[in-house]
Amino acid sequence: MPESTRAVLRSAIPSLRRLLPSVIFGIASAGSSVALLAASAWLIARAAEQPPVLYLSLGIVGVRAFALGRAVFRYLERLTGHDASFRQLAVIRAGVFERMIPVAPDGLASSRRGDLLDRFVGDVDELQNVPLRVVQPIVSAVVVLTLAVAAVSLLAPASAAALLTCLVLGIGATLLVQRWAATRAERTLAPLRGELQAATVEHVQALDVLVAYDAAAAGRRRIEAIGSRLARATRSRAAAAGAASAAMTAVGGFAVAASLASAIPLLESGRIDGPTFAVLCLVPLAIAEAAAAIPLASSAWRLARSSAERVAHAVPAEVPAELPTSPPDPASPPAANLPPAIALRDLTAAWPASGQGRDGSTVGRPVAGADPRPPALAGLDLDLAPGERVLVRGESGAGKTTLAHVLVRFLDYRGSYRIDGIEASELEPAAVRRLIGLVEQRPWLFDEDVRQNLLFARDAATDDELLEVLDRVGLGEWVAERGGLDAKVGERGALVSGGQAQRISLARAMLARFPVLVLDEPTANVDPARADALLRDLTDAAARDGATVVLISHTPVDEAVVDRVVTLDAGRDVSRGPLPIAEPVR
Amino acid sequence: MKPLDPRLVRRSGAARRFLLAGGALALVQAAAMLAFAGALATLVAGLIDGMRMPQAAPLLTMLIVAASARAIAAWLWELVGSSGAMRVKAQLRAELLTALERRPAGVPGFPTARVAMLLGPGLDALDGYFGTYLPQLVLTAVATPILITATWIADPLSGLVLVIVLPLIPVFMALIGMATGAVQRRQWESLAALSRGFLEVVGGLSTLIVYGRAERQTKRIRAVTDEYRARTMKVLRITFLSGFTLEFAASLSVALVAVSIGLRLVAGDLTLAAGLFVLVLAPEVFLPLRNVGAAFHASAEGVTASADAFEMLDATEESGEQPASGATSDAASDRDRQAGSAGAGGLELVDVRVRRGERVVVDGVHLEARAGRVVAVTGESGVGKSTLFAAILGFVDAEGEIRLDGRPLGGDRSGIAWAGQSPTLFAGSIAENVRLGDESAPPDLLWRALRLAGVDVDPERSLGPGGAGLSGGQAQRVATARAIHRLLARDGRLLLLDEPSSALDAEREAELGRSLREVAGEGRAVVVATHRRALVEVADTVVDLAVAHA
Repeated sequence: MPESTRAVLRSAIPSLRRLLPSVIFGIASAGSSVALLAASAWLIARAAEQPPVLYLSLGIVGVRAFALGRAVFRYLERLTGHDASFRQLAVIRAGVFERMIPVAPDGLASSRRGDLLDRFVGDVDELQNVPLRVVQPIVSAVVVLTLAVAAVSLLAPASAAALLTCLVLGIGATLLVQRWAATRAERTLAPLRGELQAATVEHVQALDVLVAYDAAAAGRRRIEAIGSRLARATRSRAAAAGAASAAMTAVGGFAVAASLASAIPLLESGRIDGPTFAVLCLVPLAIAEAAAAIPLASSAWRLARSSAERVAHAVPAEVPAELPTSPPDPASPPAANLPPAIALRDLTAAWPASGQGRDGSTVGRPVAGADPRPPALAGLDLDLAPGERVLVRGESGAGKTTLAHVLVRFLDYRGSYRIDGIEASELEPAAVRRLIGLVEQRPWLFDEDVRQNLLFARDAATDDELLEVLDRVGLGEWVAERGGLDAKVGERGALVSGGQAQRISLARAMLARFPVLVLDEPTANVDPARADALLRDLTDAAARDGATVVLISHTPVDEAVVDRVVTLDAGRDVSRGPLPIAEPVR
Repeated sequence: MKPLDPRLVRRSGAARRFLLAGGALALVQAAAMLAFAGALATLVAGLIDGMRMPQAAPLLTMLIVAASARAIAAWLWELVGSSGAMRVKAQLRAELLTALERRPAGVPGFPTARVAMLLGPGLDALDGYFGTYLPQLVLTAVATPILITATWIADPLSGLVLVIVLPLIPVFMALIGMATGAVQRRQWESLAALSRGFLEVVGGLSTLIVYGRAERQTKRIRAVTDEYRARTMKVLRITFLSGFTLEFAASLSVALVAVSIGLRLVAGDLTLAAGLFVLVLAPEVFLPLRNVGAAFHASAEGVTASADAFEMLDATEESGEQPASGATSDAASDRDRQAGSAGAGGLELVDVRVRRGERVVVDGVHLEARAGRVVAVTGESGVGKSTLFAAILGFVDAEGEIRLDGRPLGGDRSGIAWAGQSPTLFAGSIAENVRLGDESAPPDLLWRALRLAGVDVDPERSLGPGGAGLSGGQAQRVATARAIHRLLARDGRLLLLDEPSSALDAEREAELGRSLREVAGEGRAVVVATHRRALVEVADTVVDLAVAHA
């Protein structure tokens, strides 16, 4: 296991003080369970000898106490265990987040694409199972098993040896089969499952086309074929998983037989009495039940470990060379009240291998591991005069988004990038971002109302200011229709359209009063018929404060809305060369 | 919530076979448990009583055989559960996919994301349902009565204790559930919002960084997670009570049985073998029920998944009657036919209206596109251009009359070729994409379609999933070529293009306009929805939907 995964897993384990209560209650509960059966067996066998009832009272009290103890301790074990693991969850989440900040966003493998994000967050949260379902059950089970076997060995060493052998063989076999099944599942099942899901999604999304072209039946048959391949693989894995659970079921019975057979000579020679013999015969059943926790914990461990691996992979421990770091002795930034002059000279920049494409794909991006990677920007010269409105266009992969990310210091660069004559790498990245703002391709809206989504750009803004800025981005009527600033935007902006999300996001940027504003593909997720109007509104609104505007767009733009057009190709400005056809890109 | 959806049993043969096989296995398991407990009790009692090895050996063998039989039954359970889940999933998936084809424009209430979710991870919830929950449920239903009867025969008093305690468990659990249900639901809702807090911060991280707000989020994450913990623990304290009830009832009955057996043994009312037999069996009686409780989560997910699936099947069936072009009287049809024979071929829409729920999306549209003509449909986005096309294709129900070459269409798409607003291409070569549905058409049609649509990329070039690897304009032209190819290959009468030039520059748009004239010139009708001037200019007629509505 790589060190980074181990570090992630270590962060999931609470301090001993937090973990101890649940471990103790776990031991008490499993121990009560074993003791209940032992006491019951002893009580019945002793009673059969028909002693005075007085002699049985200890057994009776024991049976009742252990019965009560088992349930109560189990309840307490679950409560304290969950509490400890939730407390640790806060530590885990905060720790992962702190690791993310220096490499975010471009060093992170988890992009914003919904399913990847869900999985990443799910993986982080899965780590809370390390204490709850792995550490605590294993510690409790091992302690109880050791104590129980030790107690049996005091009564009959041969039985203890037989019991131990059965347990070790049974648990060992179960773990081996489990491991084999899990490896197989990772190798064959997971890809098949992914293939089926991808085929299904494609089929459903393209269903209108498939039906219109009479091709739906063929698509359905293909999905069914993948489905039956998956079913075959699943069945053979179920056979293995079933063998593992069968082995654990058998352990109890075999342990009883082994312990019983080993104790017969002791009974015959009179070295143990009847009640003790009954205890030796029955108690392996309860011990095997306690042992069943170990294979369960081992499956939980496997899940948690692969989650930890994915988390460690998604968040690199070290900042890749392509990302900026804070300079040791930062220069003082230019004043933020006027747009600065920006000059890029021979600028080269690349994406880190660990990051993924901006929309989860790797289109237009160097493929990870394929070194040397071609830089996404290669020797770009560009000047942005204060207050200028510049359109940047170019094919997919030409370096448009790279340029945007270099400007806001998400990506580091080689060459020169000067802001009012000060080299950007000598400034704090955060200071650069106070001068140069970005409206992202997919703006993130928080699941709050419109007001909260605007306010975090400027805490002190009044409602009137918010409404005014919404009006300027063309949302005045919309927000009035929705019932004002309290209108919810929904989870991931589900209640607003792509164009409205862009407008809200621009309003946010305008509130922050960035002297330079970069709009990255604002029409990427907008109905084509509305794209033209949106671009015009956005550029007009953004430029009204006299801010410098860099508009990156793939749709043909009415060039009247900008002062200048820059065409990028393979990371260079080719505006002065022969113009390539302004090909809209997806 | 029902433990088992009766529709699942009624509609799925695989589910029925699973239940039968499971019932048989449960019988085997119950028999193995009885044999094991019987052999163990007889052995222990006999050996204490002075039984010798020769008599003990067969019992010891029986013990091992019974333990093995039980293990093998458990193994078979796993197999039966998994193949049951696989079969039911395959059956439901096939039914759902077939049903979806009846509503290609979407099932009301089931957006694409939900359908994809349902067909993938949604159906996967049936794995846990069939693999864990149902086996325990069947085992409870079949084995528990057998074990209780055996206990009763060995010792009626212990049998009575079990018969009294066992039904108390579901009663107590239901009482706890009822007493706390409303509170729990409220709590879970606020919990769901709290648990999204971390996702929001991670998802919006780059936005937070742009605004210099990232660093201060760590404290917030801790605070939100801690509140999440506090609230969850409040819920769990109650949720775990039902687990506690189960555990408590199970261990209490063992204690009750053990103590009462002990006292009666002292009095000599019972044999040791019977006492031990009952003692071994008592916890087994509770085991399946305890496991049902533990697998409750799997059951809830599985029931939801199958309910969702049936809900969607019903939704497609409800509105699934053939989307017809409204009532056309015989007299009208005669007139139509005469009109058709008179050479007035083409598309004719009379007072077409499409409702989506309460809202009227397309309201009383009249449109005539004669063969040989190009008609442009214009209007603001959202005015219903795409819906109108869906109505012509029979993807949505429409009122009014839709006729092609004088005949009511009634969902017959054989003479229509259509390209929608998004290109929707597939993995495979460009040629394969263009020839979708007409793979055996002569190759010169392919070349002609490519030329007419202005595709200038090598048709052998292969595309990634979803047609990845082409720019927006190229993809749009390939989709147009696909529609033209179908039109040519099937000698179709009508070409429907929805915003075919939204990603094209002016020059290519003009080329497309010339191609549309060429296609129309061969005696076909062309209807194109567009907001671009260049395409409007080549049209013979322009229908403005916004005006048509007014």
